[in-house]
Amino acid sequence: MSDTAVIHEQAAVPQPAQHGRPGGMLRHTSIITGTVAGLVLAVITYAIGSHYFVPWGEQNADFSQVGLDALVAATYVAWVIGFMAGIGAFAGPIRWALGHDLTHADAEYMAGRGQGKWRYWKYTTDHKVVGFQYLIMAMVLLGLGGFLAMLIRTELGVTWAEVFDPNFYNSLIGTHGIVMVIAMIIVVAGPLGNFIVPIMIGARDMAFPRLNALSFWLLFAAVPPLVSNLLLGGMRDGWTVYQPLGNQAPVGMIGYQVCIIVFAFSTGIASVNLITTIVTMRARGMTWNRVPIFAFGILGSSIMGLVWFPMFQYSQILALSDKVIASSFYIPQMGGSVWLYENLFWLLGHPEVYVIVIPATAALLELMTVFLRKPLFSYKIAVAGIAGVVGISSVVWVHHMYMTGWAPAAGYPFMLSTELISIPFGFLVLVMLGTIWRGKVWTRLPMMCVYAVIWCKIIGGITGVYLSDVPVDQYMHGSMFVVAHFHFMLMGAGLFAAMGAIAYWFPKMTGRILNERIGSIGFWTAFFGFQLTFGSMFIAGLQGMPRRVLQFDNAFNISNWASTIGAYIIGIGMLVFLYAVIHSWRNGQPSGSNPWGSKSLEWQTETPVPLENFPVLPVVTSDPYDYGVPDPYDEIERELTDEGAESTVGAR
Amino acid sequence: MSAVTRSASAPEPLSPTTGEPVSTPARRNRLGIWLCIVSDATGTVALLVAYSYLWSLNVNSAWAPPKDAWADALPFWLIVLGIVVAAVVMWWGVRGIEAGHRDRLIVASVVASVIVVAAFVGQIVQLATFPFGPSDGAYASATYWLALATAFHLFLLLFLVTAILNRTRRGLITVANPYHARLVAMWVTWICVAAFLGALFATTMTVSPNLDSPSFGTFQE
Amino acid sequence: MSTVDDRPMADADGPEEPTNRPEVTHRLREWLSRPYARHIIVMTAVFTLLVLPAAWLVIHFMNLTGAPASAIMSEIEKTMFVFTMVSAPLMAVTLAVIIYSLIGWGRVTGDEPPMQASPAIRGNAIGTGLWIGVTSVLAAFLVVWGLVELATITSLSYGSTPANQQPNSARPIDINVTGQQWVWSFEYPDNGRITSDQLVVPIDVPLYFNVTSLDVVHSFWVVELGIKIDANPGAITNTGVTPNKLGTYSIRCAELCGLHHAYMETTITVVTQEQYDAWLREHGGKRTV
Repeated sequence: MSDTAVIHEQAAVPQPAQHGRPGGMLRHTSIITGTVAGLVLAVITYAIGSHYFVPWGEQNADFSQVGLDALVAATYVAWVIGFMAGIGAFAGPIRWALGHDLTHADAEYMAGRGQGKWRYWKYTTDHKVVGFQYLIMAMVLLGLGGFLAMLIRTELGVTWAEVFDPNFYNSLIGTHGIVMVIAMIIVVAGPLGNFIVPIMIGARDMAFPRLNALSFWLLFAAVPPLVSNLLLGGMRDGWTVYQPLGNQAPVGMIGYQVCIIVFAFSTGIASVNLITTIVTMRARGMTWNRVPIFAFGILGSSIMGLVWFPMFQYSQILALSDKVIASSFYIPQMGGSVWLYENLFWLLGHPEVYVIVIPATAALLELMTVFLRKPLFSYKIAVAGIAGVVGISSVVWVHHMYMTGWAPAAGYPFMLSTELISIPFGFLVLVMLGTIWRGKVWTRLPMMCVYAVIWCKIIGGITGVYLSDVPVDQYMHGSMFVVAHFHFMLMGAGLFAAMGAIAYWFPKMTGRILNERIGSIGFWTAFFGFQLTFGSMFIAGLQGMPRRVLQFDNAFNISNWASTIGAYIIGIGMLVFLYAVIHSWRNGQPSGSNPWGSKSLEWQTETPVPLENFPVLPVVTSDPYDYGVPDPYDEIERELTDEGAESTVGAR
Repeated sequence: MSAVTRSASAPEPLSPTTGEPVSTPARRNRLGIWLCIVSDATGTVALLVAYSYLWSLNVNSAWAPPKDAWADALPFWLIVLGIVVAAVVMWWGVRGIEAGHRDRLIVASVVASVIVVAAFVGQIVQLATFPFGPSDGAYASATYWLALATAFHLFLLLFLVTAILNRTRRGLITVANPYHARLVAMWVTWICVAAFLGALFATTMTVSPNLDSPSFGTFQE
Repeated sequence: MSTVDDRPMADADGPEEPTNRPEVTHRLREWLSRPYARHIIVMTAVFTLLVLPAAWLVIHFMNLTGAPASAIMSEIEKTMFVFTMVSAPLMAVTLAVIIYSLIGWGRVTGDEPPMQASPAIRGNAIGTGLWIGVTSVLAAFLVVWGLVELATITSLSYGSTPANQQPNSARPIDINVTGQQWVWSFEYPDNGRITSDQLVVPIDVPLYFNVTSLDVVHSFWVVELGIKIDANPGAITNTGVTPNKLGTYSIRCAELCGLHHAYMETTITVVTQEQYDAWLREHGGKRTV
């Protein structure tokens, strides 16, 4: 650090003074102070509100307690604010406003220097710490969502009785849905976007390190309100929470709404950070045609999240407002419209699918090149595919609303746009197939995930084509067929890809190799259970079984039994995979810094990755896909095309 | 910190926290602000869509507030006028410090702070004195939220403008490193646009064009 | 790659030949002479044949409960059938490539990164062009088919374009459908406003539904007749159908509407005109002119 000090003397910019020890207040804050502050503020808010403001005993027209919704909403918001204050999230902005800027020593303390393992429980700005935090969070949420899925399948498998009462069952469906959606949104962009992308593009950290910590801890603060809904009457209306149904729900619904509003801030902040990092912080020489495709995937996903998430956020802000201050955005008796909600919701709701699938797919493109020892096939087409999906994704949302009666004529243009998006998405499949084409496969677990994902994408893609067609959707909409389709896309193409990506970057993150044998057993068990579960769900859907029901005609029994058995198999497989992750993390085989022999930048720095990633910032001279030997068939091509000199087509 | 060493020979001043030439974080932060504006713009569009969509539908003929007590147009435009003046003043200050006059930014941020406080208070007063409550039909709800959004924007702005004032006063925003002030000025400009659109919608789109919407729960048009 | 030698170079080198035979033919012949190309083509053909029965299987499952009971449902099934047929080759070629890659181009195991390298193919203009061309043509086909089918079922529903939604048939039966938690109720406004919680309708007569809700969003789904429309509070939506098969079919709610959503179902019975008239008399309705 001595050379830094010398430079600072030369600078014409005034240096901030060091107030006390580096880190200041943040030396004392952690998840513990955050939780305590959040709980204390929530309890105080609840006590004051319930004592002074809520007229206990008075009832609304629907026999609910007057003011209870507002009280619960205020309590949840108090928790979030208290937690963020307690963990030290406001220290940065306040110091900035007061003019007590962070010194370099402060910044290094905040990045976790010299704090050992404890830094994972603090408001730490190092992107690698945030990446780990996101990874754990995603695994916890996936575990929770998976457990809820088992409960749902239990109810549906027990066709002869009601296991849960309808209120709890409907809450299970809604909570499973939204927990999984949040988990899938963060499972690639969180751990890998934060941990890997800055190293991959040759940066020392994210563009805005404090915003990075902020985005994670906002997510952390948003989860307890969501989960607590199960104790407060539940959010019993599916993850979409169509209004005005959501307005009838017990106070548990507020947990969902507060969670979404906070999570939208978290995602927006993370998106700003990732976009800025990728656009402005690439290493010298990393021109746009040398950026690894995974960074493009994260960029595309972040753009969609940034632009469209506020729509979802406002749909919930207005819904919360309907519930708490009795406004009437979605209450038709008072001039509200259900179609307004559906439009606002799906304006994010559809791009969100690509927010999940695009980075997962891009991660696979990235790792395929390593396991095939081949360059990425047609890099430009891959980028065009991502760009096309990002562009068109904003004009397809109405295909969720074909059957709502809102503007029936809109079916024509939106069927067109929906089917058009299959063309850029097809680009990505082409790049996958082209990269596999004639490659010698190194059959390791991450590569095997590629095969599994391609299969799921075929099924999900073809069934998606059915659903994009208005006449077919007229039969399928709201049926189990839709459920099976989007699980093939989100779980089959999203989660399995995320598992492959995590297996691939696991050595860089932990310094150990993910146990191949246990991991593969878990993965393939889950994969085959998945086929059984959702394959038979397609059949139930074709027969006409509506979704989100807890009882149904006997005609659907067989496929539901098969689904439930499959779901348990998935559960076992996932537990085995989880065991592989934990086991390998603790005492797996040490990997060294580049176990796969990859040429990408993140594998060139040492493992564990040092605080500022690179001792000397690298300079990039080519894209990271410089694998392979000259194609022997090229020789023939050249001989053949020698005569037709005007022909420029060739293998290269 | 070898990157730092390399750029030390450059004449450009270095950023205190990261040790890079100030234009590097300035560029990053400018992009960051643009992205924040995009995101906030989508949220604002969501509110405007809610407003205009409910206006055009007039579901159950319940758009209009009770006794046709529409909100007064003047407060909306006064608040917009205030924010526009604050934006112009901020830009005058930013241009000033970029031309070497630190005092101009101090004066500008004092004036802008005062205006923003006034606008914020005005916005709260307007919210409190609407001739309807938020539960009096769709127009009332939508108008409330347009005003609430402006209030929230102004609250954030108050923090930003006073922080700029304090930082300039303490010599942290300097002629060599004025980009924070510029970022805030960009943000104020966007707030002008957002407040203007809100005021435009709330004052021009009052009586719904759809006067024969079906009555709730019946089949009579 | 050992079979490079049996490439048909003799023709290509002929002094006169290139003028008669376009170069692309040579390239195609050369490509087809590569063993993997032939294998993948054969595998694609086999897989296509294996996948095609899915088209019938899909229809089989849809028909288990008595569908199709209207021309609309028949159109939907036709679309499913055609789409499956069209998708089969695409699915087959993808499967062929990924399965062949596991057996045909070599495979490496072990812990160390393999040294032997694959061909450095960074792109292929012909392959890319072909893929984009074929997928674009397929997408265009799906779009055109979908647009035509949508127009068809719309006209079968409303007897007209959705722009004015006026039934063009001389004597359709109007039925007002009201969804509320958790029952459907039906009103026959032209038949003395009789109401019922089950639908009874005559065969081969157009039905025209006005749908609304008294509380939350429901979705009116007549399964075997292939129609569905949301019942929205504060709005009236329309759909229509002409049943063409006698029998009793299901009406389900297809939009989560609260606690007992699963039980919000009833039946539609398609009867002959005589039985329908008798049913109307029994319920105090009058026969329409």
